Amino acid sequence: MKLSIRMVAVAAVLATAACAPQTSGTSSSDKDEKTGTLRVWLFQEVNNTPKEQVVDSVLAEFEKEHEGAEVTVEYIPVETRAQRIKAAFNDPGSAPDLIEYGNTDTAGYVKDGGLADVTEDFRAWGEAEDTDPTARQSVTVGGRVYGVPYFVGVRALYYRTDVFEELGLDVPKTQAELISTAKRIRAAKPELYGLAVGGAYTYGAMPFIWAHGGELATGKGGSYAAAIDSAAARKGIEAYTSLFGDDNCPAAKCAAMTGNDTITAFAAGKAAMAIGGDFSHAAVEAGTVKGAYAVVPLPGVKTGSIAPAFAGGNNLGVLKSTTHRTLAVDLMKRLASKEAQGELFEAMGFLPTFSDVRQQVAAKEAFVKPFVETLAADTKFVPASPAWAQIDAGQVLPTMFQEVVSGKKDVDSAAADAAKKMNDAFRSVG
Amino acid sequence: MSLVRQDGESRVNLLRRFTRRPGRTAAEATALVVAAVVAFPLYWMVLSAFKPAGEIESSEPRPWTLAPTLDSFRRVFGQQDFGRYFLNSVVVAVAVVIASAFIAFLAATAVTRFRFRLRTTLLIMFLVAQMVPVEALTIPLFFVIRDLGQLNTLWSLILPHIAFSLPFAIWMLRGFVKGVPEALEEAAYMDGASRARFLWQILFPLVLPGLVATSVFSFISAWNDFLFAKSFIISDISRSTLPMALLVFYKPDDPDWGGVMAASTVMTIPVLIFFVLVQRRLVSGLGGAVKD
Amino acid sequence: MLGGLLAYPIYQLGLISVFHYTQAQVSGGEPTTFEGFGNYAELFGDGQFWEVLLATVVFAAACVVSTLAVGCALAVLLTRVRAVPRLALMLAALGAWATPAITGSTVWLFLFDADFGPVNRVLGLGDHSWTYGRFSAFFLVLLEVVWCSFPFVMVTVYAGIRAVPAEVLEAAALDGASQWRIWRSVLAPMLRPILVVVTIQSVIWDFKVFTQIYVMTGGGGIAGQNLVLNVYAYQKAFASSQYSLGAAIGVVMLLILLAVTLVYLRLLRRQGEEL
Repeated sequence: MKLSIRMVAVAAVLATAACAPQTSGTSSSDKDEKTGTLRVWLFQEVNNTPKEQVVDSVLAEFEKEHEGAEVTVEYIPVETRAQRIKAAFNDPGSAPDLIEYGNTDTAGYVKDGGLADVTEDFRAWGEAEDTDPTARQSVTVGGRVYGVPYFVGVRALYYRTDVFEELGLDVPKTQAELISTAKRIRAAKPELYGLAVGGAYTYGAMPFIWAHGGELATGKGGSYAAAIDSAAARKGIEAYTSLFGDDNCPAAKCAAMTGNDTITAFAAGKAAMAIGGDFSHAAVEAGTVKGAYAVVPLPGVKTGSIAPAFAGGNNLGVLKSTTHRTLAVDLMKRLASKEAQGELFEAMGFLPTFSDVRQQVAAKEAFVKPFVETLAADTKFVPASPAWAQIDAGQVLPTMFQEVVSGKKDVDSAAADAAKKMNDAFRSVG
Repeated sequence: MSLVRQDGESRVNLLRRFTRRPGRTAAEATALVVAAVVAFPLYWMVLSAFKPAGEIESSEPRPWTLAPTLDSFRRVFGQQDFGRYFLNSVVVAVAVVIASAFIAFLAATAVTRFRFRLRTTLLIMFLVAQMVPVEALTIPLFFVIRDLGQLNTLWSLILPHIAFSLPFAIWMLRGFVKGVPEALEEAAYMDGASRARFLWQILFPLVLPGLVATSVFSFISAWNDFLFAKSFIISDISRSTLPMALLVFYKPDDPDWGGVMAASTVMTIPVLIFFVLVQRRLVSGLGGAVKD
Repeated sequence: MLGGLLAYPIYQLGLISVFHYTQAQVSGGEPTTFEGFGNYAELFGDGQFWEVLLATVVFAAACVVSTLAVGCALAVLLTRVRAVPRLALMLAALGAWATPAITGSTVWLFLFDADFGPVNRVLGLGDHSWTYGRFSAFFLVLLEVVWCSFPFVMVTVYAGIRAVPAEVLEAAALDGASQWRIWRSVLAPMLRPILVVVTIQSVIWDFKVFTQIYVMTGGGGIAGQNLVLNVYAYQKAFASSQYSLGAAIGVVMLLILLAVTLVYLRLLRRQGEEL
């Protein structure tokens, strides 16, 4: 009974709300020192040494240029980025000056008040004009620029050359052909998935929606509205979900698959086709299909067209709390310069964000050609709204696809439910 | 009248007699089969660590590999500061084990031997912090640690871990302290033993099996923690712990399972070593030397 | 110190749950506003919340019962075998306990994978998918949860048995009592305080299970069919930094677990067991 009295007391304190929960002070800084230590956080890759070498050579030049400035770089695991970067926003004393971040996080970090507005610096930067439009979109929120693109990642169609040859099939030129080819392969070779698809593979599904003229959401500058339930988008959902079934990729197995699962299936020789990224190349090369596959852009609806792809990748951004703004912006530009991005590609295989640099590297490395072509055709980006983090974390789109492929709902009602959840999220962020 | 036997010898004999019964062969066979089943996922983890990348998930899931490779382990040990992380993890885990065992022993004795108001409430309050999702507590804890000026230090891991492992340790040890007859305490005092002497020379050995079990618990929970390590060690990467070296391999689109398995293997081994070191205390506990 | 690290955060948690408090407020980007019970209203108004709550209660109960049964049975078994099998079982169990949950879940998923797993091969199940059906997915997660949490029960109860005076056991054995009877009428009553702790701890952990569900069912199963409260809280709130909603869920979980604990302790007290 003592306990309940105590609870009442606590409740009483809460109800009066005499004091608010703790917050940090506003973290923007007026200082702009030209010497001292600059702290940088970059993501730690599994094989990080080549990346370190590229970065180190940029740093050497930077420190030579700026007398009295020193740079320390810490490589943080991607999996820990959410907590660390939030903690950095909360404790300016621990915060770095410059960070690498995933480009779908931009709007969220801006809303958190963490990233500095670098619109003027970006405009004044000569190399910026060759940045491709989608990459530029990925650093832009409400018309302002909050960083520079560092590299992009994009997906295309992996297919088994040996299977296609054996069955006398042509590489599909349209999305309809893609679907019928997948089903023909499955019919002839029931041990294979025609095209490996996943109910949780949002980025593999988006091109189907976009190719039919649909959008995830429409709007600009913070106020978005869901468009996933539009007629065009529903056609795309219909097309993608038609690939789940015993005639291509059985729902029992494929409904739960993620992008990585579909690539694993392809690499292990369980699938004749899969939608994979340029970053999946190494995993496929390590598999049993090495030497028996090729990659082409994912076809669109019209013959010869390319389905718009999602342009993932990472950006660099300066933190609002930095006390070395000028230096940090300069270092950011150097790290993301054409030259450095070209070197980063050679070291890590990350695709540059400049259209011209990309063309150059495609000429040197044959395997990136289909990815560069995809990027040149049309790419799209997720809504630049902090609500996207909520929609993504809430698994709104995977749930929609899974409801359809498991037969729980039809396309119309699943899309309507997803649209409602998305609109709730958009509304909640204002 | 009670008596304390200094040797565990006679207890061992008694136990041996208890266990030497028909059916022991069956019991031992069962134990071995269960051990094999329980160990199989571990075997698969270690095996995957040695498999070349393309073989870890392949359509021929063999329980062996014809091309064992150390590549995955090389990627684990090749990480910047790996040795440092390892050392930090050891420091944190050992500090947590020692501090929580010490405090819990005293606190358990206090709440068992002395009755005071709100005792039950206090015991339940200890548990309350564990009843909410840890994510919900990291923000308030973050501010506490920041205000203590301990962000980015190993204290930011040690203190919360002590706080979170204590409730269980106290509860658990209470059971053991309660099992020691009060007559024994009176007898000790009658023999002229001081309170400290009773605590450390008589009570402590008696609750040792319980202490070992709680130590294993606090060691593992401190050793395997991800959340505090990624929330409170922000800017000083040289204070990171081992789980951070494991997380590197979980890349969202392109996880490196070989690295994950190798890093997990490397992380599990010290726990097993710790256990082998302390298990004798667990097995030959002296509890049976007490008689009313 | 304990108060500062345990009580104060709980107090803050309650406070946060009645405000609008997201990352933007924490880092000072936007001012905090008082919301009253708005976060709770949002939670209780969500039909999915009640569904998830029910699933969590049932799933946690199944996990607790299975874990305790397996753990206690094996603890008794340990007392009946010689050093080598005992060490083998203990080391295997410790390994399972010590494996990071995130890795253990991944390995179990590999073992039961429809295309690449050895379990289906051995059992001749073809390409049966364990994670597609709601119950089979929950069952698979339950196996993993029992695998990684029975060692805690086993080691703790075993330690408890070692502290039971050998003479008592011997007397029972001489009377020719069966293993079950010895457990029922000798060990269990003497181990009561320890079993109480282990049960309460298991209830707390299994009610809060996160990693296993998150990894093994891909964040809550097909169309969210395998969601449990902690994963729901993560998806709804923590992943997108909506701390106030998360805190409200935390407070609800706290109240439920507190109620369960108090009822359990009261039942024990009624049986004459003093705390």
